[in-house]
Amino acid sequence: MASSATDSEFVTLVSGDGFEFVLPRSAACVSGTIRRMLEPSSKFAEALTGRCILENISGIVLEKVCEYFCYNEKNKNQSNVPDMEIPPELCLELLMAADYLDT
Amino acid sequence: MSLRARQKIRAPRRGLNTNKTDDFETNWEGLSTSLKKIHTKDASNLSFEQLYRNAYNIVLMMRGDELYERVKKLEQEWLDTEVQKRVTAAISSILLQAKDQAEIQDQENERRDTGEKFLNVLREAWEDHQISMGMITDVLMYMDRVVSADHKKPSIYVASMALFRDFVLRSAVRADAESMVADVLKSTVLFMIQLERSGQMINRPLIRHCIYMLEGLYETITEEESSKLYLTMFEPAFIETSKVFYRAEGRRLLETGDAATFCKAASDRIAEEGARCLSTLSPLSEPKIKDVLDKELIGSNIAEVINLEGTGVKNMLDNDRMDVLRNVYVLSARVDSKKIPLTAAVQKRIVEMGDEINKSAAAAAQAQPTKSAEKTAEGGKKPAEKPVNQQTVSAIKWVDDVLGLKTKFDKIWEESFRSDPTMQSAITTSFSEFINSNTRSSEYLSLFFDENLKKGIKGKTETEVDALLDNGITLLRYVKDKDLFEAYYKKHLSRRLLMKRSVSMDAERQMISKMKMEVGNQFTQRLESMFKDMTVSEDLTASYKEHIRGAGDPDQKPVDLEINVLTSTMWPMEAMSSIKGDEVQLPCIFPKEIDHLRQSFEQFYLSKHNGRKLSWQASMGTADIRATFHRSNGKVQRHELNVSTYAMVILLLFNDVPQGEPLTYEEIQARTRIPDHDLIRNLQSLAVAPKTRVLKKDPMSKDVKPADRFVFNNDFQSPFMKVRIGVVSGSANKVENQDQRKETEKRMNDERGASIEAAVVRIMKQRKTLVHSKLMSEVLSQLSARFVPDVNMIKRRIESLIDREYLERVGEDPPTYGYVA
Repeated sequence: MASSATDSEFVTLVSGDGFEFVLPRSAACVSGTIRRMLEPSSKFAEALTGRCILENISGIVLEKVCEYFCYNEKNKNQSNVPDMEIPPELCLELLMAADYLDT
Repeated sequence: MSLRARQKIRAPRRGLNTNKTDDFETNWEGLSTSLKKIHTKDASNLSFEQLYRNAYNIVLMMRGDELYERVKKLEQEWLDTEVQKRVTAAISSILLQAKDQAEIQDQENERRDTGEKFLNVLREAWEDHQISMGMITDVLMYMDRVVSADHKKPSIYVASMALFRDFVLRSAVRADAESMVADVLKSTVLFMIQLERSGQMINRPLIRHCIYMLEGLYETITEEESSKLYLTMFEPAFIETSKVFYRAEGRRLLETGDAATFCKAASDRIAEEGARCLSTLSPLSEPKIKDVLDKELIGSNIAEVINLEGTGVKNMLDNDRMDVLRNVYVLSARVDSKKIPLTAAVQKRIVEMGDEINKSAAAAAQAQPTKSAEKTAEGGKKPAEKPVNQQTVSAIKWVDDVLGLKTKFDKIWEESFRSDPTMQSAITTSFSEFINSNTRSSEYLSLFFDENLKKGIKGKTETEVDALLDNGITLLRYVKDKDLFEAYYKKHLSRRLLMKRSVSMDAERQMISKMKMEVGNQFTQRLESMFKDMTVSEDLTASYKEHIRGAGDPDQKPVDLEINVLTSTMWPMEAMSSIKGDEVQLPCIFPKEIDHLRQSFEQFYLSKHNGRKLSWQASMGTADIRATFHRSNGKVQRHELNVSTYAMVILLLFNDVPQGEPLTYEEIQARTRIPDHDLIRNLQSLAVAPKTRVLKKDPMSKDVKPADRFVFNNDFQSPFMKVRIGVVSGSANKVENQDQRKETEKRMNDERGASIEAAVVRIMKQRKTLVHSKLMSEVLSQLSARFVPDVNMIKRRIESLIDREYLERVGEDPPTYGYVA
C-alpha cells in the first residue's frame, strides 16, 4: 500500500476541518511545502501514505487552493489566460495559505 | 465597492492555529525529538506537516533566530558525540602510523583493509548526514526562507555542512594525537592511489564517494568554487605526492634505457591518470595532474629519451617505427609546442642520411674518372649504346635516394607526427640543407629529369609520369640555386629537343607547366621559347621545301634539309658555340652540295626575316647518307648511315679522293676546319669503334693523332641496312667534368652578376635613395626565388654600378646610395 501511495498519480489533501481533496500529484507539487512533504526519499508519513493533513487551512480556503493548483496546471506555459476568480473575503486567508504552502 | 470588499475580508487568524501555538518551548520540544528521530532514520511515523507547522509557528512567533541557533546546537551535539565517535572508532592505529611511502609488504594489506573500512564508515556518516540534513532543511524551509533571508545567514543546510566539516573531519583522532580525521582521510586516499599506481586493484567508487564529500564541503559558508575542501586540503597533497612519484618513475624508466618503453609507459601513465581523475578523483584535478606528468615525467626526460643511444629517435627513424615515433611526438607536443629536442633529432638524422647520400654520390663520382679513362682507352667500345656513364648513374641514384628519403620522412610525418606544420618545416629545412650542401644537386636533378624524359617514362601511364615529375619538382623546391638548375635544364632540354631524344612532348610540356607553377613564370620563359623555336622551325622547314619545289630548281642531287632556327639568347649557346676561349673558330667548310643548300636556305630565310643573322651549328646536327661499299670480292654493298653533321662532312671528303687513297688527319682538318675536339671524336667513332668502322685508320690505335691516316673502309660489315654511328660521348647528357663545371660556374656567376645589377637598378630606380642595408635586404628578397646571392658579390656589383655612374653615394653614415637618372 505504501509503495503504491508513493508513486500513485493522485494525492489527497485534507483540511484542518476534515474536508478531503484528491488531485493530481503534479498539480499539488506546485506548492513547495507539499512537494517536500511528498518527497519519496524523505520517508515522512505523508510521503508514505500520499495523504497530507494541513491542520491550519480551512476547507473553504483549501478548496480555493486546490482550484488554483488545477488552474495553474491547466494553463501552464500559456499566455492570455483568463484570471481566476478570487472572492475578496478569502484574499487574506489565501495569502496566508500561499505563504505557508510556499506557492 | 472597495469599502464593501474591505468589510467582507475576514480576520486571517482564526482559532485553528492560535490554540496550538502554546509557546516556544513546547514547539521546540516536539521539533527537537523529531529531528533526532530523523538522524536515527526513524522518520516514517513523523508527519511532515506537523513538524513544518511547528517550525512555521515558531517563526511566526518571531523567534526564528532562536530556532536557528537551537537547531545548529542540536546538530553540533549530534555530530560531536555520535558521528565523530563512530568515525574515529574506525581509525585503527595502523592508519595513523608512519605516512612515509616505504611500507613493508605485509603491512600494506592490513593498512589497505582498515583504510577501506575507515573510508566506508566515513562515507556512510557523510551520506547519512546529507540525507538527514536534506530532510531537516525541508522541514525548516519556512525558517530558512524567513530567517536566512532576513539575517543574511547561511541556510541551515550549509551551516550544518560546515558543522560536519568542523566537528567530524577536523576533530582530533585521539585525544592525544594531533592529526585530524581529515589528515587520516587524505593519507588513506593517497595510499590507495599509490597502490593503484603500482598495479593493484582498489575500490574506486569508495574513494570517489569520499572525494565527493570533499568536493561538497567548503572552507567558507559562502561556498565559492575555489574554497572546496577538495581543492584546499586534498589536491595539493595529491599533486605533491604525484610529483615525487613521477620524478622517481621518470628516472626508473630512463634507467631501463629503452626509448620505446619509456614512451609507451609515459602514454599509459597519462591515460591512467586521466581515467583516475574521472573515475576515482575529481575531474577538477585532471589538468593539474597532467601538468605534473608533463613536467616531471616528460618534460625533464624527453630530451634524454630522444637522444638515447641505440633506442632513441635515430633508431626509430632508421627502423620506421611509426607507432613509437607517434608516441614520442605526442609526448613532445604535450610539453613543448615547438618540440625542440624532437625536431633537432629528426633534423640531425635527416642531414646525416642526406650527407651519406651526398657522400656516396661523390664517391661514385670519384670512382668515375678512372673508369671513363678505361673506357676511352678501350676505344669507346659502345658509346652510342651506353650513353649513361657511371657518373650519370650516380647522379640519378642520388636523386632516387633523396626521393626515397623524402618519401620515408613524408610517411613518418603523416603517420607519426600528425602532419604537424612545425615538424614539416623542420624536415623541409633539413632537406634543403643537405641538398644544397651538395653543390651538384641542381645538375643531378636536371639529369634525373633528362633521364626520365628520355627513357624513364616509356611504357608508363600518365599518372605514373605525373607522380614521377612531381617528385622531381618537390626536390626542386629545396634547391636554392634555381638559376643553376635552369641552366642545366636548358642545356639538357636543348639536347633532347635537337636530337629528338625526348620520348613524349606532352611530358615535356607538363614538366614545364609544373615548373611554372612551382617557381614562376619568369623561370620557364626561356624554356618555353625553346619549344616555340622548335615548332616555328618545323613550319619553316616545311615552307622551305615548298619554296624549293616551287622554284623548280633542277638540283641533280636534292638534299633534304630539316632545320631548326634557334633564338640565340634563349638557347644555351655555349653548349654548341664554336667559340672556345678567345680564339675565334672559323666556320666549318661544308662540302659543296651542302654549301649550296646552305646558301639557298639562307637566301630563303633572309628574304622572309630581314636583318637577321644565321650562324650554322654543325656540331648539333645529324645527317643520313647513303654509302656504297665496293667489296674486294667485287660485290657492292649499300648502307644507310646515320651520322653527325661533322662525320658527314668528313665522309663526303672521301668522295673526292681516289679509291683507296688515304687522307691524313691534318688534311682532313685543313679541308673541313672542324674544331680539333669535334674532329677527334668524330674520327674516333668512324674509325675506332668496332661496329661502325667506316674508315680505316693507320696506325691502328685507340687514340687519334695528328699524323694518323685514314682510308675509306670498303669492307665495312654490318648486319643492318641502316647503321647509326654515334659520336663518342658529347651527344648524351651527363655529369660535367671538372673543367666544364668550372666553366658553368663562371658563366653562372656572370649571369648572377647581371641579375644582381638588374635588381639593384630596378630597386634604385623606384626608390631614388636607399640605405645600404635596406638595399641589400631588398636585393636578397628579390633574388631569393632564383638563387641565394653572395653578399660580397652584391657589394661588388654596387661598386661597379657606382663606377659606371648608375648610382652615387649620397651619405656616409649610414651609407646611402642615390639613383642617377
